[in-house]
Amino acid sequence: MRALVLYAHPLEGSFNAAIRDQVIAQLETAGVETRVNDLYQHKFQACLSPDELSNYVNCPDNVDVVKSEVEDLQWADTLIFIYPTWWYGLPAILKGWLDRVLLPDVAFLMPDATNENIRPGLTNIKRIGVFTTCGASRWLTFIVGAPGKRTLLRGVRFICAKHCKTAFAAHYLMDSSTPASREKHLKKVQRSLAKLIS
Amino acid sequence: MSDRAFVLFAHPCPESYSAALHTTVTDTLSARGWDIDDCDLNAEGFNPVLSEAERRGYHDEATNTAPVQSYVDRVQAATALIMVFPVWNFGYPAILKGFLDRVFLPGVSFKLVDGKVKPNLTHIRKLAAITTYGGTRTRALLAGDPPRHCVKRAVWHVCRPDKMRYLALYDMNRATDAKRAEFLSKVSQEMQAF
Repeated sequence: MRALVLYAHPLEGSFNAAIRDQVIAQLETAGVETRVNDLYQHKFQACLSPDELSNYVNCPDNVDVVKSEVEDLQWADTLIFIYPTWWYGLPAILKGWLDRVLLPDVAFLMPDATNENIRPGLTNIKRIGVFTTCGASRWLTFIVGAPGKRTLLRGVRFICAKHCKTAFAAHYLMDSSTPASREKHLKKVQRSLAKLIS
Repeated sequence: MSDRAFVLFAHPCPESYSAALHTTVTDTLSARGWDIDDCDLNAEGFNPVLSEAERRGYHDEATNTAPVQSYVDRVQAATALIMVFPVWNFGYPAILKGFLDRVFLPGVSFKLVDGKVKPNLTHIRKLAAITTYGGTRTRALLAGDPPRHCVKRAVWHVCRPDKMRYLALYDMNRATDAKRAEFLSKVSQEMQAF
């Protein structure tokens, strides 16, 4: 098993960093080959540029500017996203990773004369784990429709392997979290990940 | 107070269909005598990534706006907010998502009272989003249509506008010229009545 961990939090020492460390340790203990992309640390460029966009459907040259990201993505069979939920969605830097790396012929095949919809290109991905924190309550997140979760567990999952397994854990009301609630959440992440890679 | 629209545009290419939608919006509203503050995020070189320092100072309402003060002022001067963007991967383009992350701060777009979000952009009486999806409507619905919820619930929640319009053209990859022209004229009509 090969896991690509995408991590997007600007602060070292954050609770998200604790989740990241635990997840990586657990993957390694389980013998899962792991690559980590810390998007903030790598100063990942979030914006799809005009050049990239005009070259967007020009396969395979479209991958040139994000070669190593695409290589990681194609190497992996498991994607793990660890991020704080901001404005009910992904931090811009992580959204930008989707925008720039999930390219035609890498992540999906464009519609053509016989296919109305795009078709999956990430058939190598058999598991997706999403571990996040939310300032909002579970109730408010539900009312808003959990856009971040759906972007990944529906939008991205659509283009992965059939029957792709998923795992999700969120710590809600993060701003009033306590050491006990955080401890409890880390245990939840551990159980959720164990199930995902079992 | 006259109508003042803050137009947030998030497509990098001037020759794109999104750019045509953007021009239709600004032209139609200008012709009606609106004040337009036109914010082309890519042209202005907006940096969408919330920094380490910004994250540290996020909840300090006295100082959190400093890195993005000019954008905060522009949002606060508006009576209408119009977002024009393409949907990418069932979400906003990163540059627009980052605008929310960095500018819609505590004390600007919302107040946290006892851990609960209270709307703070209630001077924005009209809210519109004009967008295009690569995929079909069915596919968007199956995904739970995250961008529609982001606008109609999350942004709506901090503005509580009198008027809200969400105009979307689906299945852009296969849209004919006629379909595109039809949607452009729909947007123009909607802006006439906005």
